[in-house]
This record gives sequence, C-alpha cells and structure tokens, in this order.
Amino acid sequence: MTSQLEVPLAMAEMLLQHEIEKFVNLEALLIDDRRFEEWLDLFSDDVHYWMPTRTVRYEREIHREHSRPDEAAHFDENKRGLEERVARIRSGMAWAEDPPSRTRHLFTNVMVEAGGEPDEYQVRNNFLLYRGRLQREVDIFVGVREDVVRRSPEAEHGWLIARRTVTLDQSVLLAKNLSIFF
Amino acid sequence: MHPDISSLVDTRNGTLDPRIFVDEEIYKLELKNVFARSWLFLAHDSQLAKPGEYITTFMGEDPVIVARQKDGSVAAFMNQCRHRGMRLCRADLGKTKNFSCTYHGWTYDLGGRLVNVPSEDDAYRNGIDKAEWGAIKVTQLATYKGFIFGNWDPTAPPLTEYLGDFTWYFDAFVDRCEGGLEVIGGSHKWVFPANWKFAAEQFCSDMYHVPISHASAALALAPDDMEADAEIFPLDGTLGRQFTSPWGHGTGFFTESGDVLGLIVGREPGEWFQGGNPEVVDRLGTHRALNMRGMHATIFPNFSFLPGINTMRVWHPKGPNEMEVWAWTVVDSSAPPEVRERLRIGNLRTFSAGGMLEQDDGENWSEIQQVLRGHVARQTPLNAQMGLGLDWDDDPNFPGRVNRVYCETAARGFYGRWAQMLSGASWDELAVTPPLESVRQS
Ligand code: FES
Ligand SMILES: [Fe+2]
Repeated sequence: MTSQLEVPLAMAEMLLQHEIEKFVNLEALLIDDRRFEEWLDLFSDDVHYWMPTRTVRYEREIHREHSRPDEAAHFDENKRGLEERVARIRSGMAWAEDPPSRTRHLFTNVMVEAGGEPDEYQVRNNFLLYRGRLQREVDIFVGVREDVVRRSPEAEHGWLIARRTVTLDQSVLLAKNLSIFF
Repeated sequence: MHPDISSLVDTRNGTLDPRIFVDEEIYKLELKNVFARSWLFLAHDSQLAKPGEYITTFMGEDPVIVARQKDGSVAAFMNQCRHRGMRLCRADLGKTKNFSCTYHGWTYDLGGRLVNVPSEDDAYRNGIDKAEWGAIKVTQLATYKGFIFGNWDPTAPPLTEYLGDFTWYFDAFVDRCEGGLEVIGGSHKWVFPANWKFAAEQFCSDMYHVPISHASAALALAPDDMEADAEIFPLDGTLGRQFTSPWGHGTGFFTESGDVLGLIVGREPGEWFQGGNPEVVDRLGTHRALNMRGMHATIFPNFSFLPGINTMRVWHPKGPNEMEVWAWTVVDSSAPPEVRERLRIGNLRTFSAGGMLEQDDGENWSEIQQVLRGHVARQTPLNAQMGLGLDWDDDPNFPGRVNRVYCETAARGFYGRWAQMLSGASWDELAVTPPLESVRQS
C-alpha cells in the first residue's frame, strides 16, 4: 500500500510527466507542420543543439564511439545557427528542401529526471523520424534525444529547451543529407 | 558489351556520353583501369599518430587497412584474410598489436605479415609457408607532406611525378606553415545516390554552379554586416583562374574577391588563411598566399578539398549509382584554437551531410542520376564546352594550363584522362599523350 504521504508525490510526478510529454508532442507537431519559426521559439537563447558523429569501434574502444565536443558533428548549433538553417529553408532557393521533406516525428519512451538547476529537467526520448521527399525518396532515422528543458513561465508554452544531444543509430548516414530537424 | 571507350569523352568538342555515369561494364572497367592504377588518398599522418594506430578505408571498392608501425613508418594492405577471404578488421579505426581473423584465427602483424596460424603443427602438419600468405600489400605507398597515398599498379609513376604540375597548387593548401596540416578528430560519412564522378568533377572544375546551387546558403550564412554579393563572390570570370593538369587534376579560385571564406566559415579562419600571415607569404609567395581565394580542387581521381574552408574528402565509388563521401576538416597545426573551432563549426554547417551548401550539391547529383535511368537520357550527350579552345599556358602568375575561373577546361582534363586510363593506355603512353589538345597559340 502506498502511504498517504506518497500519493501527492506520485501525483506531482505524473503531472510533470504529462506536462513534458505534451511539450514533446507539441514540438513534433511544429516541425512536421513546418512551423519552424514557432519551433525556434521553443529553444532558450543559450541553447546548445548537438548531434555528434559515430564511428565503428570494437568493444574495448567503444567508449570512443561518439565524437567528442571538439570533433566532427552533424549538428553543433547555438540559437543563431538554428535560425540560419530556418532562414535558408525559407529562402525559396534551398533546393534540397524545395520541394520540402515530408517528416513525421514519433517520440516515445519519454523519461523525466530532475536537472542540475531547480527549474530544469533532463528529458530523454527515443525517436523514429520518417522522411519522404519528392516522388519516392524515403529515409528513416532512429535515435535518442537527451534534452535539458527549463520551466519558463514567460515562454508561450511554459517550457524552453536549453540543451539537446541527439544520438543517431547509424554510422555511415544512409541519407543524402540532414536537411531536417531532430 | 560496353560502347567504344574513345567515343565516351570528346574533349575536342566538349561532350560527355552519359553512359559513363551509369553503365555497369564501364564501372567494372573503371575499378580495374582507373582505381587500381591511380594514386589514391588513404590517410593523413595525423590520423595515425602513434604506433599501433590504424584506420580502415577503401581503394576503389577494395578494403584496406592503413597502420602506423612500431618504427614510425606506415603500412597498407588488403583488409582481407588470405585463408578464406574474411574481412580482417571491422572497425573504422583504433589501436592494436595485430589483426586476428575472426573466422579461423589467422593472425597478421601491424605490417600485414601472417604471424600465427591456429593448429599450425596439427592441422597443417607445419606445411604452410606463412611468409607466402601475408595480407596483400598495397603495391606502392608514398607520403607527400603528411598525405599518404597508395597505388596498386607497380608500373605507375612515383607520386611526385603523378602530382606533377598540380604540386604548386597543392602546396597552397598543404605547405602553408611549418608543421603542415592536421585533421580534426571525427569524420563525416554519408551516401549520395549518384556516380562519384559528378562530385569529383565538380570540385575539380565547377565554380559556375555556386551562385545558383548555393544561393540559399549564401543568404542564410552572411553575417548581419555582410552582403553576399558580387563583391564577395565575383561573377566576373576574369577575376579568377581555373587550372587543368595533364594528369587529370584540377582547381579553380578567385584572384580577387571579398571575404568569401569569412562568409562561408567565419571571419577568423578567413583572416588566418589569407590575411597576409608573413610565414605563409614567405613560403608560398604573394600570389599563392593572397590571390587564390575560395579555391576548389580535385586530385585525380577522387580526392577533393577546399583550401581555406578546409574540408577534404574522398568520394568512394559504390557501384555506378552510388558514392560514399568521407569528409574531414583540416587545420594548419599552428593555427590558434579559435580558428580551429570556427573551422570545425563552419564545416559542419556547410560541407557535411547537414551542411547547408553540400545538401544542395547532393540534390543535383542524385537527380541527374535518376534522370539517367531513361533510354533517351542515356543517348543524349552532355555539354562540357565552357571556355573550349580558350586556355592559355603563359599566365604570368599561375603556372600550367589555365583559363578563366568560370570554365570547364579542368572537367575536360579530368574526363579526358579518365577515358585514357579506362581504355587501358600504358603509363608510357599516358606520359606523352595529354588528355587535351595543345593550347592554341594566339
Ligand atoms: S578466413 Fe581468416 S582464418 Fe579462415
Ligand atoms: Fe557545391
């Protein structure tokens, strides 16, 4: 039996989980509907958005599988970098995204833990990202996102993403580009 | 049956037969007569800093291991066990004492020598000559200023001869500072559903596509106080040069331009690369230090780089319809940390799978490949006539055969040499038969 004291705690945890899952789902909606300007507003001004590369290593050296912060990465962006990528897509001349990709982000396994700062939480979720493009191009990306989200009452949706690390489960990318957002 | 090779590339009229990009028979011949005879980039010294460090790569479609030896030298050999042909090493890179086959356990040392065969006495009755059954060594191996190249052909001329008149241009990238270049850790590896030659040719010869293909990136990347206009990126072809080597290598660059590097990778690398660093001017002279801006280049057949932006890459062939790109960012080893960091970031934002410039290159190459599935498309020659018959070879500042920067002479040189090699011409013939007709004397 759960003690009377533990019930409110469990409720608070469920509410937090619910709130964050709603935020995660909202993000998927904004990207897939190509509402990139609104999507940018989900990030804090000090955001770091990082997707390291992965090499094939033997077990004994597997700790070096992911590139280090000062090495090659697929994305290593601050807010300005993300804005530039959106500006490019909106330019009408971004041929790799015009005609645009059709994306569908499926987020699952959402796990929430307390973060380093009082208002911050570590949010981890797995994703499957389907991309169709032109008449018959298809790519599937699978991986995990590890975010730090910050409770921000002044932000439109009450939360901001302050940090994101995306790990893709591919070494040689089998797609011709990463012109989409994760 | 493949079509008559000599008619595939017409350098006199500047036309290309599209079957060179799609035909299976031509592709097989290309692996044999081009890739198994050319000097191919394998690795940079800085990627194999310590004894025992190795990387695995490809020469054409043949897998090879490149390893630093205990005495500091480099060895390169087939990544294939001699017993039943299993891949010896399945990692991209690492550090080891030896390579042990995971099928039956034959073990090779860092130099590819077979050193141990399980149950040698019992199963083979000591009847195997291990010296005979080492991994197949890359026939010729040579290093130029830290760049390690390999060649399968024992009759191929030495690397320095093969680099030939391109060496002067290559040095503008690799010999700027004492200590040379080093590779920033990690790599970008991804796939384009297109023939490798589209990419190799573009880096060899194509400044022409930049204002159109990369219009969006120029807009997005320009700092607030910079206008991505003709002052930064000249549209006047007389403000640059393109160079073609009889060995098929090529390059192009602006002799005058605004801060085109600043626009693409950031001001710090731009300033570092062509801000008049006295050591660079001293080593290279003014023209190479200051008047080769926004440069693109390919060493025949599939090693390309962009000096200043400092991406370098190999276009690995994976059948006629696919290539795998392996790209690295390099930096002068004496560059300050902020230049290094800006180059790392600048490259992943521009020339990588997520790069805002390269995405649009990939769109072009993969769509060409799709169109070439058609019968009529395969019969329709492609136009490579830009600047045809207008080269000169007496430029006061830039040695060798040159033209304006917006030109396709380096493409004609690239495909011309490719066709000569494909036809199986011997190195003696190749040495005396340049791929292009002599320059018309005015
Ligand atoms: S295939 Fe390597 S030991 Fe048999
Ligand atoms: Fe390009």
